Amino acid sequence: MKMILTMVRKELIDAARDKRSVMAGLYYAIGTPLIMCGLFMVLIGQLSSPEDLNINIKNANNAPDLVRYLSNNGINHADDEQANKITLTISDDYATNMAKAKQAEVLLVADNSDEKLQKSIQRLERQLQAYGAEMGSIRLIARGINPSITQPIKINVQDQATADSKGGMILGLAIFTMMYSVFISGMNLAIDTSAGERERNSLALLLSHPMSTRQLVLGKIIAVTCFALLGLVLILLVSKVAYPFVPWQQIGFTVNISQDFMGLMLLIGIPVALMAATLQLYVSFMAKTFKEAQSYLTMVLFVPLALSMAASYNIAPDVLQWLPVSGQQQALMDFIKGREIPMMQLIVSSVATLIIAIALAVGLEKSLKSEKVVFGL
Amino acid sequence: MTNRKCANTTSIAQSGVLGLCQSATRVSRWVAVAAAILVANYSSAAPTNTPVAASAKTSTCYLDGMDEQLQCGKITVPENPKLADGKQIDIHFAILPAIKNTHPDEALLAISGGPGQSAIENAAGFNRMLTKVRQNRDILLIDQRGTGQSNLLSCDDENMSFLSINDSELDTVAMTEACLASIEADVTQYGSNNAVKDFEAVRQFLGYNKLHLYGISYGSRMAQLYMRHYPEALATVTLDGVVPMQQSLIAIGSSIERGLNVLWRDCQSNLECQQQFPDLVDKYNKVDQQLANAPISQQVRDPQTDELTEFLLTRSKFTGAIRMAMYMPNIRALIPHAIHQAANGNYQPILGIYALTADSTGIALGMHSTVVCGEDIHRITEQMRKDAKESYIAGSMLDGLVKTCEAWPIPAEDDSFGQPIDSDIPTLLLSGELDPATPPNWGAMAQEKLTKSKHLIAPYATHGVAYQSCGNDLIAQLVDQGSLKDINGECLQKDVRRSFYLNANTVETLPIVKNDTEIKTDTTAPAKTAEDKE
Repeated sequence: MKMILTMVRKELIDAARDKRSVMAGLYYAIGTPLIMCGLFMVLIGQLSSPEDLNINIKNANNAPDLVRYLSNNGINHADDEQANKITLTISDDYATNMAKAKQAEVLLVADNSDEKLQKSIQRLERQLQAYGAEMGSIRLIARGINPSITQPIKINVQDQATADSKGGMILGLAIFTMMYSVFISGMNLAIDTSAGERERNSLALLLSHPMSTRQLVLGKIIAVTCFALLGLVLILLVSKVAYPFVPWQQIGFTVNISQDFMGLMLLIGIPVALMAATLQLYVSFMAKTFKEAQSYLTMVLFVPLALSMAASYNIAPDVLQWLPVSGQQQALMDFIKGREIPMMQLIVSSVATLIIAIALAVGLEKSLKSEKVVFGL
Repeated sequence: MTNRKCANTTSIAQSGVLGLCQSATRVSRWVAVAAAILVANYSSAAPTNTPVAASAKTSTCYLDGMDEQLQCGKITVPENPKLADGKQIDIHFAILPAIKNTHPDEALLAISGGPGQSAIENAAGFNRMLTKVRQNRDILLIDQRGTGQSNLLSCDDENMSFLSINDSELDTVAMTEACLASIEADVTQYGSNNAVKDFEAVRQFLGYNKLHLYGISYGSRMAQLYMRHYPEALATVTLDGVVPMQQSLIAIGSSIERGLNVLWRDCQSNLECQQQFPDLVDKYNKVDQQLANAPISQQVRDPQTDELTEFLLTRSKFTGAIRMAMYMPNIRALIPHAIHQAANGNYQPILGIYALTADSTGIALGMHSTVVCGEDIHRITEQMRKDAKESYIAGSMLDGLVKTCEAWPIPAEDDSFGQPIDSDIPTLLLSGELDPATPPNWGAMAQEKLTKSKHLIAPYATHGVAYQSCGNDLIAQLVDQGSLKDINGECLQKDVRRSFYLNANTVETLPIVKNDTEIKTDTTAPAKTAEDKE
């Protein structure tokens, strides 16, 4: 046991010496939530219609009441470049047709493929329809008819979403980045301590010390796992601070990284981190060179990435609930949406994760007894 | 879609209706006129409750017109606060949870009008109007005792046909007695002061440190009483369509006359309306006189079902329809046309407006009577009696209420009840220049002893300024900043008035008809605009 701890200390000191690679690993954990939040801030700003929407209204004099109605609802006439992107032209025979209860025409010109305009265009259309509907109702009243008869069906909707689950899509993405940070944070250390150590010819030296291969393997696994978890803790802390800064309420919900969630994520993250560490060490040792290790790892990491992604976008078949990584991710998403955590699935996927980790560790121990691996032949 | 506008207006009128109108006078007329103005927003909100584990104090529920999950709950209080062991009643409340709850220890309590309207039934309207406040704080709605789900005291009569009934022949006293007999509650306990105790009990139950108040119409009286009895629980107050403590609700009669005069003035000063309806006041008086002599009976198509039916147009139905239309800016625009048509023997527009205001109930008549008979009827002044003699509307209202209160005996509140509120809580008062119920000088009266207050008058709003202007943004600002310092009413000056209907179809300038030839469809656009001319 003492030997293992010494080994872990050695690995951590080694890792800490190479500051650039440490930073590279943790950079992801710190940077990702910040970048995501920045992106969302910009997106929310662009996708929501501004409170005061300026458009270009032509022939406003033909329909002063309509223009005032729009203005009362925050849609005003202006004549600058931004406003000209949406033009509303009121036809010359608007008043004549209105007087005869014929359809009076207005022309709305805008580019509906421009994401920044879509909401504004919808809003303008909605207001025009509301104005028309109001007028239609009053025409009926003027004829002695109750306008409610034109709405034969009253649609009552009871949306089952909770305040938390409305932000589920965003949180799914957040959980995905957290899960991925477990894999990314320890990766550099894993390569360095395996393929790197071998290239520096210090692996053989290490093995010549009076310690078992198992102790060596465990030491390395624990060191890499620590790093992976450090990455996870960092991303959780940064997320906790960063996410509330995004004006989610503008799109109708909140994203709240609660302490309960952080605790659960950390707990669930431990077996995942163990598996990530053993997997990375195993692949790195199998590779002949440092460079090769990097290439292989990138390829191998695609698997957990895909699993996690599938779960977060809900494109997953049910079987994914039982698999490592995606199972845990699914459970976390259910937790955050306020649903019951699927305990069975969580246990199965976590145990599977641990089994894979142990199997890989055993494999690692065996392979390190082969000279081929130790000397990278 | 069609009723969207109605929905808006409804909520205004619904939370607004300073019920007393005819209301207390005659039940059906009541139902007819006072009560719920419209179609769409009228809600039969019976929330469907499903227990939730999250909070033991509330359970998730859905309310009419809102598709999201809300929180509902109730507390149990003694019906008579002096008899703690006596009969218990439930006070129901609903919470519209903040989108991003940055102030979990605060909430905005929105109080309905009437008296007798349910706040919970008007949740959708409050939600729309208070969107900005709700970004950061919960909105709390409480069904005041005697309304909505809180031991409703209603006096609905059975299937009286509101079209054919002669409402001037109804026996108010007998109907009121019948209603009183049908109610099991101790009706003397349903006044405003007891209700404020309930509000405070709900606040304590839910654990809010401070409340912001929004009181509309009669709700502004409740808000002022809250200021009087529990000032320490309040952060800010907004009074909209203000009923000052010094004022008896019955003074509303003369406000209605004022509202009509403002309407005549508006039409006179608008070139198109003036040209189209040059002798509007004469026409109104002509119809009014005609109906005063005898009601007019006509075979009409039922506005709702299209069945052939009798429509008996009485004087009170006519003035009541006009009165209720004045609450809603968009229906108000139809009044000159409706009067003009009625003078020419076409009663369809009046029928349309009347049906709109008559086909649903929204006011708990029993609770309404308790409030009016305990707090207002003994405060009738000589001026009110004089007004009542001169104005049919004010007169019939006073008559009806006096009769109602004969049959609905409630001990009168003492003089201290009518004292102005003396408070330094930041208070925003909102009045609409076009208001046919609570005119701007009422707001000024309420302001008398409010040391930190601002009274803003919206020139183009009727009753319920926050629903019709940027008033709701000002409330959000007040709630957010906790002070009136930066609030100015500039945005209220924005011209949001609606043009008058010039015929049954349009509000825009009518094309000039050349003899009786067809109007050229491509005539050059009517040169002048309403704006130019106004």
